[in-house]
Amino acid sequence: MLEQIKDWIERLRAGSTGGPDREHLPTPKTAGHQRLSDCRLIVLDLETTGLNAAKDEVIAIGAVAIHKNAIAMGDQFDLILRRPELDISETVLIHGIGPEALTRGHETEDALLHLLEWMNGDPILAYHSAFDQKFLEKALKNTLGYTQPHTWIDVAEMLPAFFPDAKTGGRGLDNWADFFGLEVSARHHAAADALATAELTLAVINRAHKNDVATLQDLNDKLKYYRRLQNMHRPG
Amino acid sequence: MTAAPQDSERPQNTRAIMTFLREHSPFSNMDDAHLAHFAEHASLRFYADDDVVLSPEDGPVKRFYIVKQGRIRGERSRDKDGETETTFEISQGECFPLAALIGERPTRTLHRASGDTFCLSIEHDTFVMLFSQSDPFRDFCLRGVSSLLDQVNQRIQSGAMASIGGSSSLDTPLERYAIRNPIVCSPDLPVRKAVARMHENNVGSIVITDDERHPTGIFTLRDLRTMVAEEKGPLDTPIGQVMTKNPCCLTAEADAFEAAMLMAEHHFAHICVVDDENRLIGMVSERDLFSLQRVDLVNLARTIGTASHLRTLVSLRTNVSRLVDAMLAHGADSGQVVKIITTLNDVTVRRVLELNIKKNDPGIPFTWLTFGSEGRQEQTLLTDQDNGILFETPEGMTEDQVREKLLPFANTVNKELAECGFTLCKGNIMASNPKLCLSGREWDDWFIRFIDASTPQNLVYSSIFLDMRAVFGPTEPLDALLDKVLARIRKNALFQKMLAGNAITRKPPLTMFRNFRYAPDGKKHNLDLKRQGLAPFVEAVRVFALANGVGEANTLERMRKLADKGVFDPKDANAWQEAYSLIQAIRMRAHQEMLERDEPLSNYINPDDLNPLDRRILRESFRQAQRLQQKLEVTYQL
Repeated sequence: MLEQIKDWIERLRAGSTGGPDREHLPTPKTAGHQRLSDCRLIVLDLETTGLNAAKDEVIAIGAVAIHKNAIAMGDQFDLILRRPELDISETVLIHGIGPEALTRGHETEDALLHLLEWMNGDPILAYHSAFDQKFLEKALKNTLGYTQPHTWIDVAEMLPAFFPDAKTGGRGLDNWADFFGLEVSARHHAAADALATAELTLAVINRAHKNDVATLQDLNDKLKYYRRLQNMHRPG
Repeated sequence: MTAAPQDSERPQNTRAIMTFLREHSPFSNMDDAHLAHFAEHASLRFYADDDVVLSPEDGPVKRFYIVKQGRIRGERSRDKDGETETTFEISQGECFPLAALIGERPTRTLHRASGDTFCLSIEHDTFVMLFSQSDPFRDFCLRGVSSLLDQVNQRIQSGAMASIGGSSSLDTPLERYAIRNPIVCSPDLPVRKAVARMHENNVGSIVITDDERHPTGIFTLRDLRTMVAEEKGPLDTPIGQVMTKNPCCLTAEADAFEAAMLMAEHHFAHICVVDDENRLIGMVSERDLFSLQRVDLVNLARTIGTASHLRTLVSLRTNVSRLVDAMLAHGADSGQVVKIITTLNDVTVRRVLELNIKKNDPGIPFTWLTFGSEGRQEQTLLTDQDNGILFETPEGMTEDQVREKLLPFANTVNKELAECGFTLCKGNIMASNPKLCLSGREWDDWFIRFIDASTPQNLVYSSIFLDMRAVFGPTEPLDALLDKVLARIRKNALFQKMLAGNAITRKPPLTMFRNFRYAPDGKKHNLDLKRQGLAPFVEAVRVFALANGVGEANTLERMRKLADKGVFDPKDANAWQEAYSLIQAIRMRAHQEMLERDEPLSNYINPDDLNPLDRRILRESFRQAQRLQQKLEVTYQL
């Protein structure tokens, strides 16, 4: 994997200013009739300087890919961004990324270009995806001027939709990880959280097949239906 | 994609997988570079409860799997009724399918998830790369769990070693110990000259050979002492008249253990080493074997065998446990140790009998029989009496009259054996029981009834009476009896089938829902190694042995003989022997630990106290027991 990124940086530099790369960035795919068992899904987790998308920034990106019902460990993304100017005092205790690590991190521009290329426009799954979506879209827009919308799916929503009877004692990632007995190697490490989220996604996809939810479109429909059901039950 | 802050380091998830792998054998012994290669090329899959992971219909196996979380169970359908049964369970950190992957064939077993399960797997080319580059990995793949057995044995030894010190294996072939060119003479040499020759060469023994260098006798300084003290003859007597005839001989390939056992059994201090044509090539003395090791097996056996009072015998028994520790430390495996214990027990039993005959000879020739574990030579420190008497009725006496003389004698012997630590048999299977003190004819009748009327009670007794051995007295009457019994069983398919049915009632403690099934009659978390672990092997092997005319009572010997006869596949026999020995080893280690803590000995262990490797190997051993029972089921269509 180290080789892969070196190659990529070489290519980037050799390709001069990086202009052409920006023009050939992948176009996001829409959720259509791709079969869940065939298409590649990105499962992503971000660590940020805080919770406010308006002022806080992304500092680490961890992601794995699901393809043919498996997570291939050779196809993953684990980067800390170079942002020495950022104030991370608020969150350093949670994610453990200190100023020193940030100064040694990757140039944000390189990292995001690489991420876009690696994601290849595939649908992105995340736990409480609205949060990650806001931060990533802001970073892509501000750094690269990239505004094409990816398809986002919330794993936190899929889980109760497919496991309505699960007694998890809460709706957090930890609750579901405990429910499936997962061991999360390093909680609040972007890559480790992404892997745990992806493991839960595997369980969801397994269940989806058994419920005749075969394509991304089916999945979206199922989630829409679930959302409506939730709203109906809501008081008022 | 390597994280920037620690450029040389690997991504978090790769590191996490390596950490997981390192907790499990064989990965714990693999290089980091190989583990990293595994982790980077692995993919993670999820299987819900009951999902099929691998099926015989999938074609040749392409991936190597390791259970990251959850459990996999193997299912096969039984030939006879098509019902599916669980053949094995694979839990966290264990790998599959080894044989099919290496044989590049489809798996023969349906692999199904038990509960929510995650498996890591690598593709065939990654497997091949690791297989070719990592020795521990290759060893594990080829030898399976048995490659891990070595680790366990090493640990058992080093544990025992710590308390003893010293090293030198009993597996060493005799040729390494044997003194070349032993001092020899012909039988017509006068004792005086022979002793002079011994003196010149500073040795304690001389071997008497014929013209072709076949050893015909041995003469030692001890013999000289006896000769002088008892005034057996003048010193110019030809040595052939005073030598000990037919000396003990072993070939050079025999190991130190065999020599030690032979010495302990016969109280010899010297053994001739001969070539394939029985020509003398060397000599091994007790001192040669044990001077470095300080294992005083032979000496202990001799002291027991010559003790003049019951009191001495009782006190000597405490040395036996110390000796077992020493033996384990010197590399004796569990099969060797149970034989040592049995040998020392035999010597004790013989001595008790001899002392009683001296005091109060019943005047009737008899053979002292032992049954059950002692009959099988499989005794551990925890042992009780199972014995009987086979006598020849002298002319003019009835069998009841003989019993009148023998029973009081047997009663005393049983009581004295109890004082020596052989617990009285609760089921009264003892020589003092009139039903077990019988003539050859009566025993034969007894066995005819036993075999013909296969009552449930008789089947319970089969584990006792069908494993018998003579410990004292002439062996010929027992051999004759055994011949008849074996011939009868071989002809009686129904009896075999009932024995087989009985042998599979006790299932090895593996189930589909838990790693271990605990002893039904024991405490909640306890596992009975004897009844649940060893008995399935002992009982299944007994059926095959009796059905195929194998006269031996020892379970490992029976397995060897059955492999020789082609009844068992040699690979199966090997796996079963290993599995059986391992359970025995764990049981003996537990006994030693109980002794250290001054606790009463029991066969129960708590699997939670075992380390993960032992637990896994124990479970693999139980799986082998299950396979053996399956063979019985197939053979007898149960």
